[in-house]
Amino acid sequence: MSYVSFETKEQASARALLVPLCLFLGALLGFPTLINLWYSFSDVSFQNMIGSFVGAENYIAALTNPKMWQALGFSLQFAVICTTLEVAAALVLVFILHPLLIKRPWMTAILMLPMMVSPALMGVMYRLILNEFTGAIPVYLEMMGHAVNFLGRGNIYKTVVAIEVLQWTPFAFLILLTARQTISYELEEAAAVDGATGFRSTFHILLPMMKPALVIVIFVRFIDSFRVFDHIYVLTGGGPGNLTTSISIYIYKLFFVQNTLGEAVAVSILLLLMSLTLIVVAMRLVVRRS
Amino acid sequence: MIVSRRSRFDSVIHALRWVVFVAVALLVNFPILSTMLTSFKNNADINAYPPKWIFSPTLEHYRTVLASPNVDYVHYILNSVFIATVGTIFAIILTLPAAYAMVRQGVGKNWLLPVITNLRALPLIIFAIPFYFMYKQVGLLDTRIGLALISCIINIPIALVMFVGFVQDVPRELDDAAKIDGASMWRTLWHVVLPLSRPVMLAVFLLSFIYSWNEFLFGLILTTKSAVPVTVGATFFVTSRGIEWGPTAAAMTIGILPPLILGLFAYPYIGKSMLAGAVKG
Repeated sequence: MSYVSFETKEQASARALLVPLCLFLGALLGFPTLINLWYSFSDVSFQNMIGSFVGAENYIAALTNPKMWQALGFSLQFAVICTTLEVAAALVLVFILHPLLIKRPWMTAILMLPMMVSPALMGVMYRLILNEFTGAIPVYLEMMGHAVNFLGRGNIYKTVVAIEVLQWTPFAFLILLTARQTISYELEEAAAVDGATGFRSTFHILLPMMKPALVIVIFVRFIDSFRVFDHIYVLTGGGPGNLTTSISIYIYKLFFVQNTLGEAVAVSILLLLMSLTLIVVAMRLVVRRS
Repeated sequence: MIVSRRSRFDSVIHALRWVVFVAVALLVNFPILSTMLTSFKNNADINAYPPKWIFSPTLEHYRTVLASPNVDYVHYILNSVFIATVGTIFAIILTLPAAYAMVRQGVGKNWLLPVITNLRALPLIIFAIPFYFMYKQVGLLDTRIGLALISCIINIPIALVMFVGFVQDVPRELDDAAKIDGASMWRTLWHVVLPLSRPVMLAVFLLSFIYSWNEFLFGLILTTKSAVPVTVGATFFVTSRGIEWGPTAAAMTIGILPPLILGLFAYPYIGKSMLAGAVKG
């Protein structure tokens, strides 16, 4: 009897430790989500911040707007391309550079610098160095006889992809390198003794062991690129036209530029549902594997 | 004979690894290097054709930026310092006790921990609109504390995951010894767990500070003047009166320097925190 009450008392005080965190998240994430839900069914505006019920009007407007599908398409394509390039580049680099970096950890830090930079400021810096007239890269290319306008309509998509890939390949590299370094030397030795060297040991022993890390990298990078906002916003503002409008920039524009608040909120809710679905599916996959 | 050929092959491979390293390091860091160099050039050197790599450095653009009458950059820097520091401290205060309760008593470990861990996967723009209205109602628009709360939310998942990993590594015997001495859970947390948590606390602080400093979206939406963070303020140099290359480059350099320096110490924790979240989350 006394034992039981002792345990429940412990449990009760443990719950008390969770209360501040739960209250905080409830107030600052739960409540806004509820506001969002209400707004998505109302005719909210900057003048009328409570709004009145209008049914599914906002959702119909959101779903029938071809620009939303365009923005969604951009984000999905952008995420798939960037994730693929980043993970592939990082994986190749891990196998090339691992023997070098294992003895000189400080060198890894040099490769990690780009991901410490705010993506917004990274975007501004690229805007400077890619400037058609005075930017360092176009100037050098012109000296070599190739005039390239990186920020023009024809190249802008490739440019925003390249910036994302150059900034975040280091992240993918770091996670995969960390996973690679936890594989014990003994195991590699044993594999070598068994005659597995070079590509064979890479594909049959190392890659399978790095699989959990690979899954995480793909998931994190996909999510992050999918919700991209910062560097594209400062570089192009989503333009020219809607060429580089991601779903995040699309919602921002609906809200702050066009003032179509109800539609913006409806798209937000749709995006929330999509993200939750993706997370649940990804969690299922990870749990089933492990 | 075979041995020497073998070792020559090895040294070629080794040299190639170095070539790849240098090439990749230059490629990914090029904008940072180029911007930093530009910030120390005088206007004539900036416009020189071909671009100069060797020049006599000047601090004039830094003086311009820090004393600019149009853009109060020093104020923005202080805003970012405040927002990142306070947001990080809030996140630590909220998550360390929660992590302890989750690991030791198992409360919420099966539902709350995965929910919070996955929060970092949600697109932040979803919350931008309700936050704008909420903050407008309660007068938190364009305030430092308003943005500090946002930075706290952003950092809660990573702080919680790292603290959970830490508490799992604290030997249970230490807790039990304190318990036998009659210490309550709060006292155990304060006198046993907290002193041990210094290294992980530092790691959480570094990562949270970097992430908060680099936040842009909410700074853009929720501030206009008095609480503008560096990431947003730096863009003012580009859009105000055309691009002034020198001052913009100096502003960029100041804006990226704090996270760059902290990142030199923090980067190993990023790898660990990501992998820990997967195994335990």
